[in-house]
Amino acid sequence: MALLEVDNLSIGYQTPNGFLEAVEGVSFSLEKGKSLGFVGESGCGKTTIGMALMRLLPRNTSVKGGHVAFEGQDMLKMSDEDMRLIRWKKVAMIFQAAMNALNPVHRVDDQIAEAILTHDPASSRGDAMKQVEDLFQLVDIPKGRMRDYPHQYSGGMKQRAIIAMALACRPKLIIADEPTTALDVIVQHQILEETKNLQKKFKISIIYISHDISVVAGVCDDIGVMYAGQLVEYGSKIEVFGSPAHPYTKALLSSYPRLTGEKDKLAPIPGEPPNLINPPSGCRFYDRCPSAKVSCKTEAPVWVKLTQRHSARCS
Amino acid sequence: MNSVSTMIESSKRPMLQLEDISKTYRSKGSFFGGSGKKIVALNHVSLKIFKGEIFGLIGESGSGKSTAGRLIVKLEEPSAGEIFLDDNKITGLKGKALKAFRLKAQMIFQDPYQSLNPQISIYDTVSEPLIIHKTKNVQARKHLVLQTLKSVGLSPRDDFLHRYPHQLSGGQRQRVAIARVMVLKPKFVVADEPTSMLDASISAQIFNILLEMREKLDVTFLFISHSLAAARYLCDRIAVIYRGNLVEMGPGEKIIQKPKHPYTQALLDALPKFGHWDKVEGHDTLLRVDRGDFQDVGCPFFGRCKVAHQRKCSQERPHLRKSDGSRLVACFYA
Amino acid sequence: MEKPNKKRLNRFPWVARFLGGWAIYRQNLLGKIGLGLLVIFGLMALCSFIPPLIDPMYQPMIGVDPEISYSTGPCIRHWLGTDFMGRDILSQLLAGARVAFMVGISAAFMSIVFGTAIGMIAGYMGRFIDTLLMRFADMIMVMPTLLVVLIMAALFGQLNIWTIVLIIALFRWPGVSRVIRAQTLSLKQRPFIEAAKVAGASHARIIFRHIMPNVLPLAFLYMTFRVTSAIIIEAALAFLGFGDPSTVSWGMMLQWVWKTGHMFNAPYWLLPPGICISLITLSFYMLGRAMDEVLDPRLRNEEQAG
Repeated sequence: MALLEVDNLSIGYQTPNGFLEAVEGVSFSLEKGKSLGFVGESGCGKTTIGMALMRLLPRNTSVKGGHVAFEGQDMLKMSDEDMRLIRWKKVAMIFQAAMNALNPVHRVDDQIAEAILTHDPASSRGDAMKQVEDLFQLVDIPKGRMRDYPHQYSGGMKQRAIIAMALACRPKLIIADEPTTALDVIVQHQILEETKNLQKKFKISIIYISHDISVVAGVCDDIGVMYAGQLVEYGSKIEVFGSPAHPYTKALLSSYPRLTGEKDKLAPIPGEPPNLINPPSGCRFYDRCPSAKVSCKTEAPVWVKLTQRHSARCS
Repeated sequence: MNSVSTMIESSKRPMLQLEDISKTYRSKGSFFGGSGKKIVALNHVSLKIFKGEIFGLIGESGSGKSTAGRLIVKLEEPSAGEIFLDDNKITGLKGKALKAFRLKAQMIFQDPYQSLNPQISIYDTVSEPLIIHKTKNVQARKHLVLQTLKSVGLSPRDDFLHRYPHQLSGGQRQRVAIARVMVLKPKFVVADEPTSMLDASISAQIFNILLEMREKLDVTFLFISHSLAAARYLCDRIAVIYRGNLVEMGPGEKIIQKPKHPYTQALLDALPKFGHWDKVEGHDTLLRVDRGDFQDVGCPFFGRCKVAHQRKCSQERPHLRKSDGSRLVACFYA
Repeated sequence: MEKPNKKRLNRFPWVARFLGGWAIYRQNLLGKIGLGLLVIFGLMALCSFIPPLIDPMYQPMIGVDPEISYSTGPCIRHWLGTDFMGRDILSQLLAGARVAFMVGISAAFMSIVFGTAIGMIAGYMGRFIDTLLMRFADMIMVMPTLLVVLIMAALFGQLNIWTIVLIIALFRWPGVSRVIRAQTLSLKQRPFIEAAKVAGASHARIIFRHIMPNVLPLAFLYMTFRVTSAIIIEAALAFLGFGDPSTVSWGMMLQWVWKTGHMFNAPYWLLPPGICISLITLSFYMLGRAMDEVLDPRLRNEEQAG
């Protein structure tokens, strides 16, 4: 049984101008120990999915339909109390710009110890501190820096501390939302490598959310490409990168300047994503798609299975 | 002085020249004595940019690349050294001469959400430089504004002109920022990480606009970025900067295919590679744990350099030297 | 879809923000009460012209009822009764509303104009000018306004109402300037200011074209607080006998009650002006607090827009 199964999830929220469909009909499954990356531009709904899985959606947002099953349990129908038990112990999240989530007036090791003690009141402070020490070693922060305050850490170190906090309760699933966006290239690379190692070592499943497809490609086993609230392509990374099927994926890949190979002129995607308050009934990529047919405007595209794991939503 | 002054294209006169530029910031000392901490943003940087080229200045945060850009457009003054635009000294310009300079050198800022005044309409934003520089005729101004907006791909429809920044997307705002810069038809433009805050497909649009500007208006660009891939696409020549020091400079393609300085090699190792995920072949020049700060005396990269020679690299500072063809590298062993 | 009119109006950011702000304001109970009260007072002020038109005896200062020449309670002819000279209290109350608005808003407006200008210049120019202006502001701020006016009244005799307004304005601007200066300091670092510099804008242009539109919301907010203090100062002055004797204000009415010994036996005369002063200050304060809530999160939302 897969660790996480999401079936036809739809989320929307009320705005003064109408109801906005942020996520529509997203389905995927995640096995234990595997990593899945969600890629898409800002506003495509990927962050919303992450927040929904943690049941941390803002008040004006509602799940309009679909099921989310974690270890067989229905996460959406669970009580708040049960959800609180799962949160952090089984499912942890690294938010966007998480480095700013560290409280500036407390020492870093205290904050992580607090996270441990909150979720495991039975353990003593001494035990918690010992665990913090182990965690710091895991994420490669020198022991001597444990008692520092957050402002004394560099960006990369703060991010590592956040990862340590997420790992504190040895969760089964970590949802990482743009975990390396604000970091420099070299630090980003180091953190991604370390994360990969940790994942393999502890068999943690990770969901990566990022707008940067190149980052996600390096780290994840499977990729889901999102556009305008919908999943448009899904498959193993080799398939999605090697033979992208959906026009959006193809266009996205060709927007990135490459380090090797031919220096082709970049072909940016003209136009802008559609307004999700009244989304078009047909394919949402229609007016920017270079290979659109007339039928694409009115008929919703169907999922086409290309290989065992690779499918794309295009007619 | 150092071998940069014997530049390869010394037959041509450069459009912009930085000569031995240094910039230090001093944080205020404590009340009880003791001088404040000295932060060296730029350390004896010299470079030349020729007319019509797009020159890339690539570095991570804290490298001083943005500072260099700011010095060029005179948002700040260097602590030492001179800057020349078209052979005219621009360090220390004031008054009318300064205003005349502004016509020639402009800057595109990094954050399109912050570089436009939220209270001013698009039309007013783009026409303001014209007003400042005394284009009196309202009709002439309107014509120029429309023309410039069109050239950056923004529709000149009337209601668009009167929109405000909060009604535009990030990509559109950045185009407006570019239009504001181009309306004065400057000769030299500093583009300070113009796409860091934008998505990939929008970034690609902006890159193509910059290339078009270079072709149609013959503008010379200094492209500041942390992305070597973007630099490869856009730039003719690149300089890699590390902690205020230039470490490598030369033709973009060559540097990326065969980097010589350990830092450049480390940067390239760290970049995500499409479709070559299992390739382990890296240059492996980065130490896992830093050695510590040797900034003042030896090579600035010594603290992290795996291939450094203990004695020489920690005592002496390497200068940019010629290394095969038109390449300059600041390393004793490159 | 959207109505064309709405779209054209929504061009202006201040209209869009006003409507958006109104939506938030509407949810604030205090704000609605405050606004409601102010509307009532505003109507009172507007109606102050009506009673004298009905009958000259309703003139607040000089109207004399031929039949009554002493203080009486409410009756049909005089809804709130008459004062010690037989003048109608209601028309005095209405006239007082007019004066309160005049004094409050003029004094507040002038101190805002002055305070904003000085705050912006000090914040933007920095260093020597900043220090000079802010020390000057400090000196003024520590001086007690009321005492200064009292001293001036003692020196120069009875003061004209507009002189009083001017003095209030001249002594109340430092508070505004501090806040505007702080706002300017943070705005100064924003990229669009740097972009204006790179384009070649002069200091004056940057201050008045770029910084001012961004500090005005804050300035207007502070204006509501200034109005409160201006009204109270004027009332206090009038009560103490240093007001403008030719102007009927609520404070003046209270002075008459007191001076003519009717404090304890003419509640219909004592209570209305007192209640009005308290209520109008309360309502401006509630307005200010509700506006604060509108402005603060809105300012934050602006950053994330797009």
